Amino acid sequence: MMKQLVSILDGNTFLVSDRRGDVEPSYDFPTGLFSFDTRFLSTWLLTLDGERLHALSIDDAQSFRTRYFLVPGEPTHYLDAKVSVIRNRAIGGSLGEELTVLNHSGREMQFTVRMDMGSDFADLFEIKHKGRKKGATTAIAGENELRLTYRRDAFHREAVITSTAPAQVDQGGMTWSITVGAHQEWSTRLHVATMIFGARGEDIRATTPLGGTRSPEAIRIEQQQLLDRAPKLGCDCEPLAGAYHQSLNDLGALRYESIALGVRLLAAGLPWFMTLFGRDSILTSLQVLPFLPELVPPTIKVLAGLQGYRLDDFRDEEPGKILHELRYGETAGFEEQPHSPYYGSADSTPLFVVLLDEYERWTGDAQLVKQLEFAARAALNWIDTYGDLLGTGYLWYQTRNPETGLENQCWKDSWDSISYADGRLPGFPRATCELQGYAYDAKLRGARMARLFWNDPVYADRLEREAALLKERFNRDFWITERDHYALALDPDGRQVDALSSNIGHLLWSGIVDDTRAERVANHLLGPRLFSGWGVRTLATGQGRYNPVGYHVGTVWPFDNSFIAWGLARYGFREEAGQICESIFSASRYFDGRLPEAFAGYDRSLTEYPVQYPTACSPQAWSAGTPLLLLRVLLGLEPQGEHLIIDPAVPAGMGRVELLDIPGRWGKVDALGRSRTAEDNVRGH
Amino acid sequence: MDQAIEQFFASLPARAPAVLRAPVSGTLQIDLTTGNRTDHWLVELGPGEAAVTRARGPADAIWNSSAELFARLVTGHAQSLSAVLRNETTYSGNVMLLLVFRRFFPNRPGVRDPRKIAREQVRRP
Repeated sequence: MMKQLVSILDGNTFLVSDRRGDVEPSYDFPTGLFSFDTRFLSTWLLTLDGERLHALSIDDAQSFRTRYFLVPGEPTHYLDAKVSVIRNRAIGGSLGEELTVLNHSGREMQFTVRMDMGSDFADLFEIKHKGRKKGATTAIAGENELRLTYRRDAFHREAVITSTAPAQVDQGGMTWSITVGAHQEWSTRLHVATMIFGARGEDIRATTPLGGTRSPEAIRIEQQQLLDRAPKLGCDCEPLAGAYHQSLNDLGALRYESIALGVRLLAAGLPWFMTLFGRDSILTSLQVLPFLPELVPPTIKVLAGLQGYRLDDFRDEEPGKILHELRYGETAGFEEQPHSPYYGSADSTPLFVVLLDEYERWTGDAQLVKQLEFAARAALNWIDTYGDLLGTGYLWYQTRNPETGLENQCWKDSWDSISYADGRLPGFPRATCELQGYAYDAKLRGARMARLFWNDPVYADRLEREAALLKERFNRDFWITERDHYALALDPDGRQVDALSSNIGHLLWSGIVDDTRAERVANHLLGPRLFSGWGVRTLATGQGRYNPVGYHVGTVWPFDNSFIAWGLARYGFREEAGQICESIFSASRYFDGRLPEAFAGYDRSLTEYPVQYPTACSPQAWSAGTPLLLLRVLLGLEPQGEHLIIDPAVPAGMGRVELLDIPGRWGKVDALGRSRTAEDNVRGH
Repeated sequence: MDQAIEQFFASLPARAPAVLRAPVSGTLQIDLTTGNRTDHWLVELGPGEAAVTRARGPADAIWNSSAELFARLVTGHAQSLSAVLRNETTYSGNVMLLLVFRRFFPNRPGVRDPRKIAREQVRRP
């Protein structure tokens, strides 16, 4: 289904249409024009003399622009079109579409061009959960203008559609009765403004310091600047080069201006997640830090600004907690959904501390660490207070909002993701293993910041002591001796939830794994039950709930693999890390360099190509960040004091990998790696 | 003017050292409307301090609200950001000031410590 759709996006404004450029009302999948979680167009359908068109070709090389070349009739017809249509569409805060009708015949022709237009102003969550609108929609036909309005109390959205060529406007769209000379063309420019009304009846983007919307040209320039600033990759491995460039493009496209906050943030993924997520934005920031460090401070500051400060059951909010998800739409405003913001994640808080520290280690920006001392301390404090729901020294989660809250508040947040090996589901609260790793890492990094920047060595000592105790406790309570791996979680009675899962890879990244056990963890990760050949599965084969196309119970997630590779490298398993890099880059070839959210967990030898998960989001920020983190792992990049350690370990057959102008506290440095095998030497790279 | 609102503003200078810990400074004008009447409050915010006067700007941000909604905010019955999202209240200017100021708003009355609830539940047979 995704393959049949064409998307353009700029930040959190995006349009999803079919291959003709049309949008037809859809109640189960987000097609149409969206901005800030509201659908502004749900119908956008072109006919010529009453007939639908079909696409000869589509040019969608740029993320914010698409061109459709169309002719009338169905694709089965013998093609001898006397007329064709070009739709040239760009998005930049608003939508612009240039519609051109070309008369290929040798005589003057008359045509009736019709665009059906409409909006249901659905909130994204009403599409997800099939809700009904509580407000009223009106359509007002004006002079070459159709104004679609939605009101519910003071909540007010408008789509204002204008045509440069004279049009007959009715409540359902616009019609142009045109005469086109022999071998001549006719065109009109359609413009769809998306209005979000706030203070004094002005568009809210005019009254907050956002600088308004960007034109497509401004987007092009900004994306180019981002590409120019990023380190330059030179390599022999084509999939790696392709994935790197596609990633930079997608990260550029996913940046958006937060309507509430006036800063540029990264949206998590098209189409469901075009907003700020705590976990996604932190993990993506960690991935891109060595390449685009300037993307990181706005995210950190906004997460700190929106840090939880009170107890709120509806939002799962607690003092010190970092948000899970912020939405801007009607369901958030009227508290039908808790995203204003919602705090239902147990990992974003420790990860916030991890990111702040990692950011300073790369950039030397001590000022930010000092400014955010209170926020970081509040986050660390949350880990030991509200985070430790049962008082057992672990991070636990259990929603207090059973209606619209999340059951699983870890990255695998679908309902069935946490299970025993036999498939049973544990009760609540649950303490998943990777949460404990993140908490451990956060304490050690908090200690470093306390010692170096907060002038509090006593606190630093305390955090280090606590981290050491946590590691000891964890290795006692989570290790399953008879299975030789860590449990996925503890259940409310403190018993091990014993499924074998990819979560154990994150434990390596956090450093909580005892050195004596690291090799056994690595062997599981690269073993046949977890490793598919395209990457590490979320859940191992043979587990009760394993399903190769189950969202978090068998699929392979590129972002998951990038952190697992980082973890393997941290414990010295460079070859194993390289194997994951190789598998993910190989998979990326089948998606033109754009890694999807997830692909199926089928064995590589079975399918020979990675099968995309049916409704996977694409592009998605942490998938786009994956090639960047994998590059870091391949080249062994690690800041140490004022220097960047470069310790490459490039897998056999990958040849030369060189990354120029890596930014950081050292200024800019270059890294060069090369696989050292007989095969590579013969090829003479 | 609602007494809860008066008390709320009066309490801010004393509460500021504990509540305002972010590196954010500026002046926030809060206009509260009851029928045809508008009361103006000017709050100067900085790390650890808040000064309150009954006056109009100059301000870095202006917040317009009904006194009725504001009374629900200062008693914990409503939440500020969702009120902005549904346009029941409007805010223009430096948004970071709203984010630090909202920390003065209390819990919803009667909310329980989630740890207490979770521990009671686990102990149940």
